Amino acid sequence: MNLKIETHVADGVTVISCHGRIMFGEEATSLRDTLKKVLSSNRLIVLNLSGVTYIDSGGLGTLVGVYSSARSGGADIKLTGLGQRLRDVLQITKLATVFELYDSEEQAIAAFRRGGPADAVPK
Amino acid sequence: MSRDHALITLENGQFYVDDQGSKHGTFVNGERVQRKSLERNDRVEFGVRDVAYVIFNPQHVTSNTAREFLDQISGIHISAESTDLEKLTLFLEAARKLNTAGVLDEILVTLLDATLKLARAERGYVFMKGEDGALRLAAGRNSKGEPLLDDKTISHSILDDALKANSEFVITDTSQSLDLAGRQSIVAYDLRTVICIPLRKPQVQTTRDAQSPESLTGEAMGALYVDSRFASRDISTVSNDILRAIATEAASLIENARLVQAEDAARRYQQELSIAASIQQRLMAVTIPEVPFARLKGRNLSCKEIGGDFFDAVNTDEGLAVVLADVSGKGVSAALLASTLQGMIYSQLSAGMPLLDIVTAANRFFTHKHIGEKYATLIIARIRRDGELEYVNCGHVPPLLVCNHEVMRPPHGNLPVGLLADATYESDHCSLHAGDRLILVTDGVTEAENARGDFFEDFRLEAVAAKSETLEDIFSAVANFCGGTPLSDDCTVVELVYSG
Repeated sequence: MNLKIETHVADGVTVISCHGRIMFGEEATSLRDTLKKVLSSNRLIVLNLSGVTYIDSGGLGTLVGVYSSARSGGADIKLTGLGQRLRDVLQITKLATVFELYDSEEQAIAAFRRGGPADAVPK
Repeated sequence: MSRDHALITLENGQFYVDDQGSKHGTFVNGERVQRKSLERNDRVEFGVRDVAYVIFNPQHVTSNTAREFLDQISGIHISAESTDLEKLTLFLEAARKLNTAGVLDEILVTLLDATLKLARAERGYVFMKGEDGALRLAAGRNSKGEPLLDDKTISHSILDDALKANSEFVITDTSQSLDLAGRQSIVAYDLRTVICIPLRKPQVQTTRDAQSPESLTGEAMGALYVDSRFASRDISTVSNDILRAIATEAASLIENARLVQAEDAARRYQQELSIAASIQQRLMAVTIPEVPFARLKGRNLSCKEIGGDFFDAVNTDEGLAVVLADVSGKGVSAALLASTLQGMIYSQLSAGMPLLDIVTAANRFFTHKHIGEKYATLIIARIRRDGELEYVNCGHVPPLLVCNHEVMRPPHGNLPVGLLADATYESDHCSLHAGDRLILVTDGVTEAENARGDFFEDFRLEAVAAKSETLEDIFSAVANFCGGTPLSDDCTVVELVYSG
């Protein structure tokens, strides 16, 4: 598998950090499973993708799938650490408007304290 | 009939029947008796009358034994005490047959026949655990070699106990065993001999370290069960060991046969897949319409797996329409969705529907069916005779518009199809002049990877599109870039040239 996932809790927010590639298959499955597990105990989540070098179409589907099911379940996921490639992908697919994106992990965590997407940095 | 109903004995060449204090009595020729000598053709009844009776008919009155009498009334042949050597021969023969039997059913039948012979039991069954853990009858045979079905006279409580404890359950004389009071079928059907041996999955010992016996005991995958209405005094320690050895051998053969079956199923599945792949290929085959105002070309380079790319073209009064789509993921699931999506879009294009209605309907279809994380990026473009081009980009790689060797990438775009139920779509318009080209690619092209892990990227694509005249140039540029690294995704390129 080409993806390493680590989680830690900061300020009551669970930060999930991904390193490697998010691809259709076991990587996407592993990310989905991790998020599901975290969502069962915490509704405030920051997904740090700064270590992600590549995300394919299947990985993107997983990201959107988990994101929207978390949202509909009352949880909140914020994204940070998007590389240029990922920004491009989100731009092409217009998904940049769907996700809440932040420049840094700290900003994403802080946004939870201030409460909500109003502080989201427009991309 | 009582449990210990009557006893037939041979005394000085004369047979006697002795009622053992039974509840409903023993009758000889219709007369209730306590003890009576038996003659040939006497009608003997135990318990309830006129239901079942035995005609006493010894073959050789003078040399008869109780064993031969039992032989006749039960129909099973009980030979004289076999020697251990004979038993070993039986075992070896069984093992040999088991080894040559390839099919699971044959293994089970051989196992039963051998066990019935060894145990001199009346009937034998093999139960196998299903996926839900419940025991199901896999084979049943009686001592005459006739197939048997499951019936309620089998002691399921013993079966369950043997499996639960994962250990043998051998009772050679139930009347001597005190803890059997609750076993209904044993009492009701007068089972005297019950042998139940779990069939354990063969265990591969990975280390030489001494392990606890429990960890070496394989999981039970079923049980061998034989019973008989007669107490068998013949099951010596040796035959017990042989029975256990046969069960072990059979278990490993059953496991092997199951693996072979699984392999067969996998091979059939592979065949199905390749048939599906060829159907997919035929579905994806495009008949490119010939129109006087434009020229359309498309080419697909498939990677090893079945992919989710497709393109199609339809000419109607509204113009020449082309669609290029890429369903997320790979394999059968992607191919299935690609075929469905292609069918939807093809029929709607043929009906001359507005492009925005088509993508909205496709999005509604995908999201309402809850297909999960599957979605498609696609571009639908339609060019009119006068060069007016309308297109909708749904999360796809932006098209390349090449005018006089200059490449433009319109920023227009929408969400992919199938991700969000409430997505709304917009289209973009532009006017083409004679010689202008619209090039559509899937991300398999821009993300084609070389050995160093670099992607082909948009700038290389734009560079080759600017100076090339044909599709082939783009493919050879990609091939040169990859330098032998196999494609990890389908590459599809479609080129639309407006000729005016």
